[in-house]
Amino acid sequence: MKATLEIGIVVSTSGSYGEIGQAICAGAELAIAEVNADSRAKVSLRPVVMDPGGVPASYADAAKDLLTGSGLTQVLGCYTSSSRKEVLPLFEKYDALLWYPSHYEGFETSDNVIYTGAAPNQHVVPLARHLLDNHGNRGWFVGSNYVWAWENNRILRESLTEVGGTILGERYFPVGETDFSALVEQIVQDRPDFVFNTLIGESCYEFLRLLRAEAVASGFDQPRRLPVASCSLSEAELPLIGDAAAGHLSSSVYFSTVDSPENARFTAQWDGRYSHLGRACADGEAAYIAVHLLAMAVEKAGSTGLSEVREAARGLRFAAPQGLVTVDPDNLHCSMRPRIGRSTADGTFEILCEESSPVRPDPYLVWASAKQKDGRLGPDHLRSVS
Amino acid sequence: MKAAVKTNFRGMRALVVLGNDSNRLALASVLGKLGLDVQLHDPHDAGVQTALEKCDVVLLDADVNLEVLSEPNALPDVPCIALIGTETPSQLARVVRQGCISHILKPVRSSGVFTALLLAVNEHEKRQKIAREMAVLRQRLAGRREVTAAILKLMMADGIDQDAAYERLRVEAMNRRMPIEELAREYLACDARAQGGGRRPRIKADDTAKKLSTNRRLRQ
Repeated sequence: MKATLEIGIVVSTSGSYGEIGQAICAGAELAIAEVNADSRAKVSLRPVVMDPGGVPASYADAAKDLLTGSGLTQVLGCYTSSSRKEVLPLFEKYDALLWYPSHYEGFETSDNVIYTGAAPNQHVVPLARHLLDNHGNRGWFVGSNYVWAWENNRILRESLTEVGGTILGERYFPVGETDFSALVEQIVQDRPDFVFNTLIGESCYEFLRLLRAEAVASGFDQPRRLPVASCSLSEAELPLIGDAAAGHLSSSVYFSTVDSPENARFTAQWDGRYSHLGRACADGEAAYIAVHLLAMAVEKAGSTGLSEVREAARGLRFAAPQGLVTVDPDNLHCSMRPRIGRSTADGTFEILCEESSPVRPDPYLVWASAKQKDGRLGPDHLRSVS
Repeated sequence: MKAAVKTNFRGMRALVVLGNDSNRLALASVLGKLGLDVQLHDPHDAGVQTALEKCDVVLLDADVNLEVLSEPNALPDVPCIALIGTETPSQLARVVRQGCISHILKPVRSSGVFTALLLAVNEHEKRQKIAREMAVLRQRLAGRREVTAAILKLMMADGIDQDAAYERLRVEAMNRRMPIEELAREYLACDARAQGGGRRPRIKADDTAKKLSTNRRLRQ
């Protein structure tokens, strides 16, 4: 007889970043279905879904409901860092586990969170290195005005100044801003080696459209001569950009084009059930990994008790669509393989290079630097795959 | 140029002076993740004193009154972070006296440790810089009387005004790469020895030195 474990899912499937929320839910649903269909599994999962609608304060209410009202101890949720910061004290207070399925800017560790998305040394630092090695050291920074953009820009700024590069311009805009005509004119005039883009949502899509239009009007090949790079652009967003979707760089531990049997299985299921969300993406895959790791931890612990599950999760290994993922026993982030991709017209990313093996997570960037080749943890073995 | 804010503490030696409890466990764990070499000591350990001499940052239990650490200058010149449980004025006054420049509240959580460390290390660096500048200024101030006396002597000896006298001292000090206070002291001493002997003062009466840069002087 299988034990049933309730898993809370606190993800905004509506609101300003609803599309990503839907992708996270899709990944979780796929994994839950797989766990429940597995006759050998000792646990079956029952999701309890909450939608905070992208409002940070609603996350705390939802989490409190799940942790105190329903007495749950396992919750998958949050996409933005602000929402995670909102619920983190509750998870510590009521001693529950949050499975956080998104890449983020780092500088946090908690025994009450398992992070299944990329840490900054697994996506920001590899992108900085890729840009310096392949495109030059004169950058233009454009971002939405919040912590994600500030911190990513800091990392890239330090990497650039370390090698004597320059930042031709740096501008931040309110989330949702779409008036970029003066900005793209300025950027095209300045001709940096690359644009580093930390805009999110509609701002990002509109910026990419306008920059492409300006470049076409000025008669030069923007993807090749003035590439836009980001750490968050995913398959879920490419269909929303329209004609200008191709030719942008993105740094991620997962792309739907990863070549592995696990990913073939994962994308086949995704395309069958969630094709309306675009192709499978990193956040969906991170949620898929989180649910599987939870089921494996329960199995290994032989119990659904919180501390048993947490201890069992340390060091757990899972053959994920992106490749082998290991929960770091020390900081509860995951070892993953950084990759750099370039978007294509069919809504996927062509993988330009990838690490030869998983890189240990370094949330405080103690070991990693874009310039220094640190043998222990730095993403220093990027190789070309084409 | 503004100095960069230090954000990476890899390899720093942290001394945690705190009883063996869950706070110490949490603290040691985060400090380890931040790349520091952590040394743990119970406040009453005999080894605390020696350990203090070999660390780059101290994290100190503010809830234990350690006589040895309350003495002035008991703590080395490193950033000190107070671990605070009880917020009574008497205990906090001790935190101030010990020169703690940052703090972490108990119970220690993983968030907050990085902030406390970053503030402490950077603030301590700033304070050290100010202390160095202050030492220089103090030295200047202490020599002010001699400089004044030297200016007066030069004015009287050569019949020049105070600006010309000061300028002559300044140029000579620059050429000889020494503080003006030291030169003034030397001049006065030399002058004292020379009294009655009719020796010329060592400060050049002409202004050739003024026209020459220090680098040109090296080529002469």
